[in-house]
Amino acid sequence: MIYIFDGAMGTMLQNAGLPPGYCPELWNQEQPAVITAIHKSYIDSGSDIIETNTFGANRIKLTHYGLEEKVALLNTAAVQAARAACGPDTKIAGSVGPTGKLIVPLGDLSFDDAYNVFFEQISALDQAGVDMILIETIIDIQEMRAALLAAKAASKKPVICQMSFGADERTVTGTDPITATIILEAMGADIIGVNCSLGPAQLLPIVEKIAQTTNCPISVQANAGMPSLINKQTVFPMQPEEMGLWAKKLVAAGARYVGGCCGTTPQHIKSIYQAVKHLALSDLPTVQSAKKSTALTSRSKTIYLGAGHPTVIIGERINPTGRKQLAADIAAGQFISVKKEALSQVRAGAHLLDVNMGVPGIDQAKAMQYAIQELSMLVDVPLVIDTTDVNALEAGLKAYPGRALINSVSAEPERLKSFLPLAKKYGAAILCLPISPAGVPKTAQDRLVVIQEIIHKAFETGLKPGDFVLDALILTAAADARAGLEALATLKLYRQHLGYPTTMGLSNISFGLPRRDIINATFCAMALDAGLDAPILNPYDPLMQQTLAASALLLGDDPSGRSYSVNYAPTSQSEERAAPLTPKNIIEQIHLAIVSGEKEAVVPLVEQALREGHKSIDISEQALTTAMNKVGIAFGNGQCFLPQVLLAAESMRAAFLTIKKELPAHATTSLGTIILATVKGDIHDLGKNIVAALLENNGFTVIDLGKDISPEKIVEKALEHKADIVGLCALMTTTMPQIDHTIAALKAAGCSAQTIVGGAVLTQEYANQANADSYAANGVDAVTIAKGFMADKAH
Amino acid sequence: MPIYNPTIQTLDMSELKRYSGLTKCTEFPQRLLDQACTEAQIISQPKASWQIYDYDASTSTIMSPEPLSLPPTVISKHLANSLKVAVIAVTIGPDLEKLVSEYFSKNEYTLGLLLDAAGTTAVELAADQACELIKQDENKQGYTTLFRFSPGYGQWDIRVQPQILTLAHGDEINITATSACMLLPRKSITAVIGLTPTVSNLPHKETIEGSKCDQCQQINCLSRKD
Repeated sequence: MIYIFDGAMGTMLQNAGLPPGYCPELWNQEQPAVITAIHKSYIDSGSDIIETNTFGANRIKLTHYGLEEKVALLNTAAVQAARAACGPDTKIAGSVGPTGKLIVPLGDLSFDDAYNVFFEQISALDQAGVDMILIETIIDIQEMRAALLAAKAASKKPVICQMSFGADERTVTGTDPITATIILEAMGADIIGVNCSLGPAQLLPIVEKIAQTTNCPISVQANAGMPSLINKQTVFPMQPEEMGLWAKKLVAAGARYVGGCCGTTPQHIKSIYQAVKHLALSDLPTVQSAKKSTALTSRSKTIYLGAGHPTVIIGERINPTGRKQLAADIAAGQFISVKKEALSQVRAGAHLLDVNMGVPGIDQAKAMQYAIQELSMLVDVPLVIDTTDVNALEAGLKAYPGRALINSVSAEPERLKSFLPLAKKYGAAILCLPISPAGVPKTAQDRLVVIQEIIHKAFETGLKPGDFVLDALILTAAADARAGLEALATLKLYRQHLGYPTTMGLSNISFGLPRRDIINATFCAMALDAGLDAPILNPYDPLMQQTLAASALLLGDDPSGRSYSVNYAPTSQSEERAAPLTPKNIIEQIHLAIVSGEKEAVVPLVEQALREGHKSIDISEQALTTAMNKVGIAFGNGQCFLPQVLLAAESMRAAFLTIKKELPAHATTSLGTIILATVKGDIHDLGKNIVAALLENNGFTVIDLGKDISPEKIVEKALEHKADIVGLCALMTTTMPQIDHTIAALKAAGCSAQTIVGGAVLTQEYANQANADSYAANGVDAVTIAKGFMADKAH
Repeated sequence: MPIYNPTIQTLDMSELKRYSGLTKCTEFPQRLLDQACTEAQIISQPKASWQIYDYDASTSTIMSPEPLSLPPTVISKHLANSLKVAVIAVTIGPDLEKLVSEYFSKNEYTLGLLLDAAGTTAVELAADQACELIKQDENKQGYTTLFRFSPGYGQWDIRVQPQILTLAHGDEINITATSACMLLPRKSITAVIGLTPTVSNLPHKETIEGSKCDQCQQINCLSRKD
């Protein structure tokens, strides 16, 4: 059966005389007859379900009107006004809209506060007698999660969850329809859908994606096309007849609840009713829903595990066990190293990240909540919450704007009792670990029995077949000769008897043995053939990566070996690099290393040159100085770029330091003394710092005064150090006049130093009028000008 | 006043290269670029705040509680068809610039420069995300958003910065302006986004859309788009 929702409420209220800026929900109390009449007009047009006038009747929205204490009253009045319009077959959906705020960490509203706001409103709607709860127009999946949890707690009635997507088929906070559907179905939404923001043409592909993902009923309430603004009024262009035609397509795509949103009227609903109400479901195309594998999601990405899907790598590195620095950072509330591990693992190819905050003596719930929040902002791969602490588990699940995997659920009664309800409540999947109160089963057959027991309990709690990942349990091969064989046999039994996706922590197998990487990679290849879907491993291990790539090819997951070839075929670029450059001697080698910016390579080369008896002055002049000159010329010709110049400068510095270290008595002659400063009022110093680096590494003594430096200070230091040159920098038009003031002050004080000026807004013309001696467009120019000046001075 | 903390999940490497002057460079150690990206992602604390105001195009005035008249330069032309404006402030916080200074003081100039460029990429990305949020919200009401126009573009005097910051409630996300009208933290942006009616044939659209570099007087800038 197709159910017909109603259409827009706001425009109907405006047409009925609601003043601009007036609280629409207040009319539930003040003008209930008007509200009832609007409902009636929709029912007369064919609506089976009408929505209460409570879209903004939550505490946060009502606060804008000073009505925050009227949440219960206005929601109750809305239901009464709706009920007054209903016939015996009409249902009432309690409309629940967004709070208008974003939830932490995207915004400043806490998840708990959002939950409480929704709970208050939904309780009022429920008690007033709605038939279902409709959470609609939500753009943030975390807000929808808070609202859905609140609805499940406040009411036993069906809950419809409708997200709003943009033209790119994502919510503005990044969630796509497939990901949203997976999260909401797992959390117990009864009907999943979409409304607002777009017209039916744009919503059609979104409905198709939802239908391919779930067997839940689907609802859709489109706007009457994409709006224009005419005479400062928002106008929706789609006429009722066209809306009806689109409704047929939406139903064919899988929608079973159809209505209208912004810009729709009773006429639009009538057209929809006439187009789809009496369609026979048996005449509609069958929508192919997704395979029943296990899906995990972040806010913006879905990963499927199981047969028919590529191997999923679970990165194991965010785990403080045995890692003192990581443990210390977590204990200190410093999550820099956790974030670094996350980004590095994802770059190394991890598809899921295991997150373990198991540091003794800390508040693990707080640490887990923070880690999950931070990682959900940083990476888009789904997370695995790895803890034995039930409070940490709930904190992590609550904070996570996706569908997480819980690592792990064993058959120990306490674990089953505490973890399974949390998985159900927050829509998480569980990693089932075959450990029972009797301990670790030795044989594969015994492990299967324990796993079946866990799954049985999980079903009793309300979990479903798509909620499991089975761990085959690896013992240490050094301690148990059959450890590998039993794990492989377990994988095969799982595949044969259960068919759910499988995982295991690979590195356990090699504990206590040398070259663990060889054992781990070999065992991984064997396990993949035996049915392993999602190994937990160290993604940085190159041998493991090679094994995974080769296994994907051999197991048919990499057609034609395309991915393997991309990663491992020699490229023309690497061939070019391999072509050896053949400098004639060590001096040329040093020269080349400086030009190429190979800081690490230059040190041993300089050491070798000194050992071979080359004089430091020769190294300096024939290798280092000529190299920097060459780099400078290449920069001027546009053949070399600033970061490369800086790399060369770093290499130059490393070479000088090596000479000094090897020959402490070696005195390098300074080319001259330069005072550098960013002028008063200006806080930008990147460019000045670059100039300082280049001058220093070209042999000048640089006294860098820093940024925001007054003319008086610059004059004082120039005189004190008998500066040869004063370099001044300004970035903004507002601070540029300080260049003039400083030069005037230098001249007034009788300072004979030459002045060089530069900075983003400076020009040669400005330098001229400021009486500067020179203008440098960049750091390399500054070096050339400074060298030229010192050469002139010497003559 | 909305507050939004954008996510920095990926930084556009081509933008990072552009801001560090590497656009035309064919060979540069990827390791350093990756490190700059990673560190920028980790230490950035992106935040955005904004406020929507009515706009009187006939007098080029933002109708804030204390109305702000705009000069008859490119900004006024840019907003000629706007009925409202969003005034926005965005930052990635102070930590990145401190790290850049640390790198220079440790003589790791290249990484300092690349991290600074990654910070610019990050704050631009954060601003783009906030603008997208505004765009989707306003599209629903029949408005089209113009590209964000910042003080300093098109001869718009940056001395307006404190007033723009006030209109965007920048203090709520800890952005301040110095006496020389520079933003602190340095990796911060303020801008005005025009909201025009969604109708076709906006006469000014073609002339003002496109590269923001076109509005900038720094013609020798290393990051300038051709």
